Amino acid sequence: MNLQFISKGPALLIQNRQKILVIADLHFGIESDLALHGWHFASRSAERLERLCACITTNSPDLLILLGDVKHNIPKTTRQEYREIPDLISAIRDLVPFRILPGNHDIGIGRFLQEGELLPKWGAIVDGVGFIHGHTTPAPDLLGHLIIAGHHHPMVCLHDEVGCALRAPAYLLAELDEIGPCRKKQGGARKTTRVLFMPAFYECAGFDVLQIIKRPFSPLSRSIRTYDAEVFLTDGTYLGPVSSLEDDVAA
Amino acid sequence: MARILVPFLLWRMMLPLDRLDERVRSCIARRGFTGLSDAQVQAIPPVLDGHNIILIAPTGTGKTESALLPVFSALVSSPSKGGIRALYITPLRALNRDILARMEWWCRELSLTIGVRHGDTSASERRRQALSPPDLLITTPETVQALFMGKRLRRHLAGIRYVIVDEIHELAGSKRGAQLAVALERLHVYAGDFQRLGLSATIGNPDEIGRFLCGTRPFTVVQVPGAKDLEIAVKFGGESFKQQVETLYPMLGRKGSTLVFVNTRVTAEALGHELYERGDVEVHHGSLSREVRIDAEERFKRGEINTLICTSSMELGIDIGRVDHVIQFGSPREVARLIQRVGRAGHKLRAVSRGTILATGFSDLLESLVIARRARANEIEKVTVHRNAADVLANQVAAIAVEYGEIERDQVHTIVERSYVFFDCGTLLDDVCRQVEEHRLIRLDGSRIITTARARKYLSANLSMIHDERKVPVFDMVSRRTVGTLDESFVVGWVHTGAVFVTKGQLWRVIEIADGKLTVEPARKVQGEIPSWEGEQIPVPYSIAREAGSIRRNRVVKNYSHEPESIRYAVTFLEEMDKNRSPVPTDQLITLENTDEGVVCNVCAGHKANEALGRVISILMSAKFGTTVGIELDAYRILLRLPSHIRASDVRDALVTLDPAHMPGILRLALKRTALFKWKLVQVAKKFGAIDPDADFEKISIQRLLDFFDGTVVQQEAYRELLSDYMDIDTAAAIVHLINTGEISIAIGRLSIIGAEGLLSSRDEIPPPTADQAVISAIRRRLESDHVVLCCMNCRDWKSRTVVSRVPETPQCPKCRARLIAALKPWEEQLYVIATKKKKSKEERATEVRLLKNANIVLSSGKKAVVTLAARGVGPENASRILGTLADGDMFYREILKAERNYIQTHRFWQ
Repeated sequence: MNLQFISKGPALLIQNRQKILVIADLHFGIESDLALHGWHFASRSAERLERLCACITTNSPDLLILLGDVKHNIPKTTRQEYREIPDLISAIRDLVPFRILPGNHDIGIGRFLQEGELLPKWGAIVDGVGFIHGHTTPAPDLLGHLIIAGHHHPMVCLHDEVGCALRAPAYLLAELDEIGPCRKKQGGARKTTRVLFMPAFYECAGFDVLQIIKRPFSPLSRSIRTYDAEVFLTDGTYLGPVSSLEDDVAA
Repeated sequence: MARILVPFLLWRMMLPLDRLDERVRSCIARRGFTGLSDAQVQAIPPVLDGHNIILIAPTGTGKTESALLPVFSALVSSPSKGGIRALYITPLRALNRDILARMEWWCRELSLTIGVRHGDTSASERRRQALSPPDLLITTPETVQALFMGKRLRRHLAGIRYVIVDEIHELAGSKRGAQLAVALERLHVYAGDFQRLGLSATIGNPDEIGRFLCGTRPFTVVQVPGAKDLEIAVKFGGESFKQQVETLYPMLGRKGSTLVFVNTRVTAEALGHELYERGDVEVHHGSLSREVRIDAEERFKRGEINTLICTSSMELGIDIGRVDHVIQFGSPREVARLIQRVGRAGHKLRAVSRGTILATGFSDLLESLVIARRARANEIEKVTVHRNAADVLANQVAAIAVEYGEIERDQVHTIVERSYVFFDCGTLLDDVCRQVEEHRLIRLDGSRIITTARARKYLSANLSMIHDERKVPVFDMVSRRTVGTLDESFVVGWVHTGAVFVTKGQLWRVIEIADGKLTVEPARKVQGEIPSWEGEQIPVPYSIAREAGSIRRNRVVKNYSHEPESIRYAVTFLEEMDKNRSPVPTDQLITLENTDEGVVCNVCAGHKANEALGRVISILMSAKFGTTVGIELDAYRILLRLPSHIRASDVRDALVTLDPAHMPGILRLALKRTALFKWKLVQVAKKFGAIDPDADFEKISIQRLLDFFDGTVVQQEAYRELLSDYMDIDTAAAIVHLINTGEISIAIGRLSIIGAEGLLSSRDEIPPPTADQAVISAIRRRLESDHVVLCCMNCRDWKSRTVVSRVPETPQCPKCRARLIAALKPWEEQLYVIATKKKKSKEERATEVRLLKNANIVLSSGKKAVVTLAARGVGPENASRILGTLADGDMFYREILKAERNYIQTHRFWQ
């Protein structure tokens, strides 16, 4: 059993009984939303898809799991999305079977999918690992497993003697606190649950991990044990516990 | 180009008058003109002859009338066919109002109509102008752009016969000017050939300004000598601000009115504060509201106050009545600026202009002396025209598309190529079109350029090439109040969640950037310096800094000044340097001085060359030592903020081994990751329509968004502007070449009094080329603070829990003195119990063997082994492999990192 960090993604490759490629937060169609906020760029969907396809072909997984926010615009699906998403989805489908854990941005994505491709939004277990987008409270049966979640777009800032030296997407691994909201549905099981928050595949996303911890904005991030949460770079480099990053700035 | 230098002869003074229309002549008589000024005598005939002219004359010599009297004469003698007949363009609204006030009388007398149109003009006035346009329209370059947008206004452009550009030296060096040059060619499409009249202060390159105004058309330069009428004194004002104010105070008591020019708004406010009690002083600068400024101007004009403290806001020809004396507080930094400012004094035709520079320090004094000498010798800087500025072209392509709806690309090419600023633009137009199409400002259909729905909105927000700086409020969430504002450029380039910056003398950490506001909390400690750009900072040119350096070398202060106080101060200062055995940095000697903060490089090269040189050195240091290097600089020194182990000799090594040919490439690479570059890129991208003026910077990683511009014309333009406007790479390379050939030598020493003089102007940080260093330091810090349990494997009766950083180099058991110490992770502590057991199972014996292996590694490698064993998933086998590589320093940590990564990927998630 093996878990590989693929920095040219970022993506995770989980090898258990089958080989599963995990990718989070694609945000296809974000450009029309950016335009509303004053940023006018041509659609980069094609380029993002190419990167995704390259990621699939080099790793040849048996299954692709998309951890939600495949599309971007809510509550409506935009013209850009109607135009682009069917082709994107079928391009992926041609390469590999896939499942989508729908995210908060995926309202109405069902219309582009075939039966069985959409998993429930409160998460699902595939090959012994829990998967969830991360904006909902996870289903009770996910507890006790490793849960891989998207939604939080974690990113890390490192400082050296003279100033900020690195800002990069990162993974955040934390144990779920036993007194969190998740506990109520746990029903006596005592096994620890760990959550691995994945960075977004979309290029321009990023929340500082310290912010995710200090100002949690989801049931998952609210119920993690923060003091021993750990941070990894996209190539698997273990940076250390979150507390060590904090000392870095605040000490 | 023809140059007319008419000697001053009385009989010729009234000659041009005869050629003016009789009605204009009678007005001149009624206005009480006794004669014409030099400028008028020389300029009126060629204007009447229909020449395009560049009139170069000091402020206050009746330039406006020189151009307008012959224009009036022509207008009254030819019937109006409706529409605008003459356009008078100035860079400032305030100047517009001033010209309007001066010309209203003439126009009324001559029954010509006159109007002003700029940003402050009311909608009703605009509408009236659109219905019945005035003969003479006074306007700004930005409003000229707006004239092309309306269908009705465009019709009125066909009758324009004269375009006068006032203060053209101000415009020619900016992107506003480049935009105006294109606008004149767009006007040419409607109006055909019209007469172009440029009015300029004294400059070094009048011919280029002529080409800027007229393109390839012929023009005449009329130069009225002015510098001989200047009387400039340099006075040393003292080292501290308090002394300087004391020196200034009695100078204001003299009879008559005084303008005090300062270089920054902050200085203006500070001086105003000190002098306010006098009751006869007002402050005038760009940050004050219009009403306050106009009130100050009016009161000065009426003589209610006799001192006005002002910034460059007062340089241009706004009429404030009689000025008897000009004081420049601190070096004026440029010859042209000094002449312009002192020219405000004696604002009566043919009066001598008197000015005093109050120098504020050693470098400032030498610089002032050099500038005063150059002003007297008429050695004035050149104005650099922005050529092939891609963002101006993008702006004008969008504007032309809106103007015509759709247009052939070749036609656009013809229009822009007529102007000097784009006449060899080559493939730039195609690149620009492709880029603005990406941002949906135009649509390309084969060879046609078609306007889009967005374009008009873009254009109304981007009439100006002036980058308007949005202020972002800073909100302290602890005290729940707004603590100040930051420039948007600063926010874009620097601020990210978690960043620490200084404002209002306090440290703040950014919590959130949202809804156009920055939410912060107080921070305790900052790691490194935060940059700030003083937008109003005027760079000192290379030639001046070098000459100041030569004074330091020759010690010939008395050739420059007769003022005993100044000479004594400068000479004593240099003697002090000698007494301290500090080598004096000159135009031929660079000194590198070690300080607590880093290394001060004293280089007499001016701001722009130092900027280029400083950045190149810092990127080299940053690459070599893998650390962030902060830089601060002024015209005479560069402070490199370095970690304490990097010294002046390292900087010297970098300098002497530098190949000047590599510098432009290094600089481009270096710039890319700086805040300055990002800031410039955002500005250019805005003009390309990629980013709205009021775009949100929340929820988006701007850094990565800006990567989208890699290799595009937007990025090229950002580089072009930075490398030409902000720094001078050619001069920096020339200096390095002189170092290579030995004509400039390098000395190393302790911090001297020259090196310690204020370092205030620009600051930036160069991040290290790879993030590696930061990652490794993070890991090193983490391992150092890890807990470890040391236990003796000899007596098996001692264990101690500690952190790695506190472990001695060779751990030893305090009980039995053995060095056979195992280093366990805290959760392995219970394993030690097994080691102390008398009877062991097979499994327990295996554990004991592992512990012994562990202890043996510590025995042979000491603390290094303890560090290795503290890493995640590193047991004795892994540890001995890592230690076996004999890697040291960063390489050692890199090995640990590799092992950890391996462990994490294979085991960590699957117990």
